[in-house]
Amino acid sequence: MTALITLEGVNKHYGDYHALRDIDLTINEGEFFSLLGPSGCGKTTLLRTIAGFESVSSGLVAIGGKDMAGVPANLRPTNMVFQSYAIFPHLTVAENVAFGLRKRGDLNKAAKQTLVEDALDMVGLDGYGKRAAHALSGGQRQRVALARALILKPKVLLLDEPLSALDKKMREQMQVELMRLQRHVGITFILVTHDQEEALVMSDRIAVMFEGRIGQLADAETLYRRPRNRQVAEFIGKMNFLHADVQAVRDAIDLEVQGLGRLQITAEQSPELRDTGPAVVGIRPETLGILFDGETTDRKLVDGVVDEVVYYGDMTYYDVRIQGVEAPLNIAMKNMIGRPVLDVGAATKVIWDERALVLLK
Amino acid sequence: MWQKITSSEKGRGILLISPPFIYALVLMAFPLAAIFLFSFWTQDFMDVDTTFTLNNYREIVEKPIYGALLQRSLYVSACVTLVTVLLAFPVAYFVSFHVRPERKSLWLFLITIPFWTSYLIRVFLWKVILGFNGVINTGLINIGLIDEPLTFILYNVNAVIITLAHAFAPFAILPIFVALEKIDRSLLEASQDLGESKFMTFFRVTLPLAMPGVVAAVLIVFIPTIGDYVTPELMGGAGGKLIANMIQTQFLALNNAPLGAALAIVAMVCVTAISLVFVLLNRRWLKGRS
Ligand SMILES: Nc1ncnc2c1ncn2[C@@H]1O[C@H](COP(=O)(O)OP(=O)(O)OP(=O)(O)O)[C@@H](O)[C@H]1O
Ligand SMILES: [Mg+2]
Repeated sequence: MTALITLEGVNKHYGDYHALRDIDLTINEGEFFSLLGPSGCGKTTLLRTIAGFESVSSGLVAIGGKDMAGVPANLRPTNMVFQSYAIFPHLTVAENVAFGLRKRGDLNKAAKQTLVEDALDMVGLDGYGKRAAHALSGGQRQRVALARALILKPKVLLLDEPLSALDKKMREQMQVELMRLQRHVGITFILVTHDQEEALVMSDRIAVMFEGRIGQLADAETLYRRPRNRQVAEFIGKMNFLHADVQAVRDAIDLEVQGLGRLQITAEQSPELRDTGPAVVGIRPETLGILFDGETTDRKLVDGVVDEVVYYGDMTYYDVRIQGVEAPLNIAMKNMIGRPVLDVGAATKVIWDERALVLLK
Repeated sequence: MWQKITSSEKGRGILLISPPFIYALVLMAFPLAAIFLFSFWTQDFMDVDTTFTLNNYREIVEKPIYGALLQRSLYVSACVTLVTVLLAFPVAYFVSFHVRPERKSLWLFLITIPFWTSYLIRVFLWKVILGFNGVINTGLINIGLIDEPLTFILYNVNAVIITLAHAFAPFAILPIFVALEKIDRSLLEASQDLGESKFMTFFRVTLPLAMPGVVAAVLIVFIPTIGDYVTPELMGGAGGKLIANMIQTQFLALNNAPLGAALAIVAMVCVTAISLVFVLLNRRWLKGRS
């Protein structure tokens, strides 16, 4: 794996506003990389500094080993799919796709036309070339934007929330198509999204951003199972938080967890914290369980009372109060044959396992 | 009856458009029809002979003076349009692209300042600037660049063009500005992203998308300048008179309303024909665009 894009100590100020803070980042060749974060955290700004539409206030941006300072957008080996798609309304679909080919003096007209047709083919728009660009649906525009960028064979394709304008079905379909496309062309994709599910599904690695900083950079599974801190844990999926007191840190970690008692976890379950003293542990709803009548478990149990029931069809989410914890625990249960949906107020036993705990900063 | 009119969709529609419709009828259609009718009549000293005749039109075709005047009018209008639009575009571009959003309305406001004074005063102002003893000539003589006053800037076609171009500048700036404002800025970034420089982006994206505004500006300037007679009267001298001056002369000084009317109709037909050709050419060119 060779590094393609390197950012070192990148800062960006808009007047008084500090939009990017000390960003260090390496993105590899052929990688599907995602920038994930809440609205306004600086994802678009970071993408635009890579594309060359924003200059950096300090720090280094290098692509393919070349410092990009002072290199304008039109001379960078990147292409972008804009959030609004930015399809030229005065051109046809084919003219849009061919827009960037003007300078390719090595290609004659027929060769260019073949390239355009291939590109349209690749995104599933064969035969649409003569259409006026303004007469396209959202999904089709997005495909035109993709074809227009990919035809230039950039080293990096930058995508700024390309799926956010599509409905849910279309979005899921395009997610799969984008992944297929990325594998097919082997170009590095950098995807900006505020949809954690999208990021988890599509990416090789994800950088979670908060307020201009990278909170954590990891692959999807690490990010979900071993979030570094509470902010990341809260942003990605649901997580129950319990107060804990770290008592001893050796090869394993001894701690006392509110409501669950004394227990021991491995060092791997604590990505950051290594000190004794007060701390927070997190546990995902689907790693907890409810012991239904007639079922048995060899895992640990704690008594609880159902506080809230949310029925989702395939799943039911319970809020269960256990002794010694102020916030109820959120538990996700698969609805299976023989499992009734419990009523609010029902006394239950909560199944838990210390292997599912993660110790947070 | 009244109820019936106000209750039906159609009735209400008719009711709604009738005031402007009547207004247009009285102030546009009737005068136009009158002019049209007059052009087929003849002046007989103080009376008007209302027998149908094409003599007025025959005279216009046969006497070279009218054709020459019409030609000169079209030439002046074309020059004014060209100069105005060419000068207006950079101004509109600057305001749209380089002025901070919160300052734009202020700039537009400043652009309309010439309209705060009467048209006549603005024309006289140019006389002061361009005249024999005007600002330009005295200035140039004082710094010794010329010995004699420049004569090509007053009482001729050039003076008319300069004055009209100034008068119509805001009319050209505004539609171009609106067209530029409507351009999605991400399109310009997309063009650069696809490898085009800022310069080429202007020609491949900005200009084509601003074309509707430019067309509007051309028509807005071209059509009224053909009919303008104040500026040529005051600035044109003997060689700078235009068709509108001739129409005025026919109606007032020579008391020949029918010939004046025929001239007006001919001028109108010319303007309409040229505008239509222009619009059609543009539609051709802009084909396939929303
Ligand atoms: N040109 C600018 N001038 C001033 N502030 C800006 C500018 N562009 C962005 N910002 C600020 O920088 C911050 C980050 O903006 P950015 O567009 O990168 O957010 P984002 O993470 O892409 O959010 P979203 O998910 O809503 O698109 C925002 O608070 C925004 O107000
Ligand atoms: Mg954004």
